[in-house]
Amino acid sequence: MKSIVRLSGGLLLLLFSIVVALQLGAVQLHWPEIFSTTPGTGVPAEIFWQLRLPRVLLAGLAGAALGVCGALLQLLSRNALADPYLFGVVSGAALGATASSVWLPQLALPVAAFAGALLAIGLVLVLARHAARHGMQSISTLLLTGLAVSFFCSALASLLLYQADSFAANRIMFWLMGSLSHAAWPAVQLLAITLLVTLVVCALGRRQLAALHWSDDMAQSLGVAVRRWRFLLLMLCALLTAVVVAYCGGIGFVGLMVPHLVRLLFGGHILTLLFGSAVCGAIFLIWVDSAARTVLAPQELPLGILTALCGSVFFLLLLSRRSRHD
Amino acid sequence: MSDLLLHCEQLELRQPGGFVLGPLNLRLKSGRLYGLLGANGAGKSTLLQLLAGLKIPQQGQIFLNQQLLQHYSPTARAQKLAYLSQQQTPTELTVRRLLALGLLPHKTLWQQDTAADKAAITQALADTGLAQQADVLLSSLSGGEQQRAHLARVLVQQARLLLLDEPVNHLDIRYQHQLLATLRRSGLCVLASFHDINLAAAYCDELILLQHGQLAGAGTPAEVLQPELLQRVFGRPCLVDTSPFGGSYRVTFEPERA
Repeated sequence: MKSIVRLSGGLLLLLFSIVVALQLGAVQLHWPEIFSTTPGTGVPAEIFWQLRLPRVLLAGLAGAALGVCGALLQLLSRNALADPYLFGVVSGAALGATASSVWLPQLALPVAAFAGALLAIGLVLVLARHAARHGMQSISTLLLTGLAVSFFCSALASLLLYQADSFAANRIMFWLMGSLSHAAWPAVQLLAITLLVTLVVCALGRRQLAALHWSDDMAQSLGVAVRRWRFLLLMLCALLTAVVVAYCGGIGFVGLMVPHLVRLLFGGHILTLLFGSAVCGAIFLIWVDSAARTVLAPQELPLGILTALCGSVFFLLLLSRRSRHD
Repeated sequence: MSDLLLHCEQLELRQPGGFVLGPLNLRLKSGRLYGLLGANGAGKSTLLQLLAGLKIPQQGQIFLNQQLLQHYSPTARAQKLAYLSQQQTPTELTVRRLLALGLLPHKTLWQQDTAADKAAITQALADTGLAQQADVLLSSLSGGEQQRAHLARVLVQQARLLLLDEPVNHLDIRYQHQLLATLRRSGLCVLASFHDINLAAAYCDELILLQHGQLAGAGTPAEVLQPELLQRVFGRPCLVDTSPFGGSYRVTFEPERA
């Protein structure tokens, strides 16, 4: 009951954040002006519908997606350090983006990045499966394989960048630092659908998730199809992360930090943790993006730098508070 | 033979390390309590995992209610048999939430927990003396309390057959006896491994003695608890007499001189 009250509070705060973030920017917007004119007419309305609204929504969805992925992976791996980027998704996406800007400049960056991310995930799954057949514990195998693939992909990407022309290199570097400046409706729709599917699957499989979080043996003896569930959840995570990285670049630290924050604020049972991570991740990224586009306006700060900067400081404060509690 | 719940024929498992379990033939009847005895590494845990369907034997068949165990869906199997492993990974979960996991095999994805489910959980908490600790995190309980919480989870699962790997592990004397009495009263078929032979002898209908993965003896305590056999299996000379309480068999091993 308590967690429902806190979650509702979080949702209200999220709504408030969206409303405030929509008003921040170079052009002052007045609500009556936006809604009185028919959509698509007038400059303020244009700014609202085509720039600000998709950007704020994408920020919220990306933050929610990263938070949910982090929480899911931490639950599944029973490891508090698990992070959506451990699967080599970011380095895979970077490799895809780099390769395309060197060899196929006409390919859109999100498409290339998405393909690279999927390639990395596929490689991780195949290699981890191969290792697991020789009798290693499969979830730690997966994380370690992800780490190796991640380094491999970023090495290749660096090699390509090193030889690429400086314009392409710049473009990739800035994209890797994360930005929402290219936010558009298709990205919002795609991410919203993926996130919704993931949350529905988690809500239906809450008991299975709890059992998997406990131990594989426990889950199996309770009749959970361990491999099938784990594969499904990992694939959803990978897909979500790949979509986020493809459209927003590398936004670090959110997936690692948000679940820990939620555990401290809401308490950590499965669904509370997942939905809480979605809400908190969304709020966090909306505010960070608002800061990124207003602090040094008209210049925009890369989002990934800000998330890592304020995220890590905030996180250290939380940790010191928690250790004092203990 | 309608009361035959689980049986296996020529069951055999070879493990990568060279350990071979079996070939074994076993018959477990409903309503009876079976004690699984043997030295460390005799294959007690492996046998329990095989019977629980967590390991796949290379040879032989396991039948649950006259049907092949591998033909059961995981959920159907979990409704019929509950398994408690020897080691528990500590997780941040309250006792009540752990017990709720026992309901998993009985629920479809769309079903909510009902009042009857909550009553079953409350009952299991009372049976294991954990009513006061229901909403405490498992990690803050003592080893014995955690073990009782796991046993309560097994009871919530409402299976006819319980496979328990060292269920009295970590329990103090009082709860050891209380647990075994609870299992006796339950009328379920229980196969549990023990290190305490006398405890097993006092409560179990039959004992199963394993040595190096082979069946060294099976039958009533009177049949199995032979001094020569026990010396061969456990490597210490021993005396077998009867306990002053109710005349159950009692084994005393000779202490090793320092």
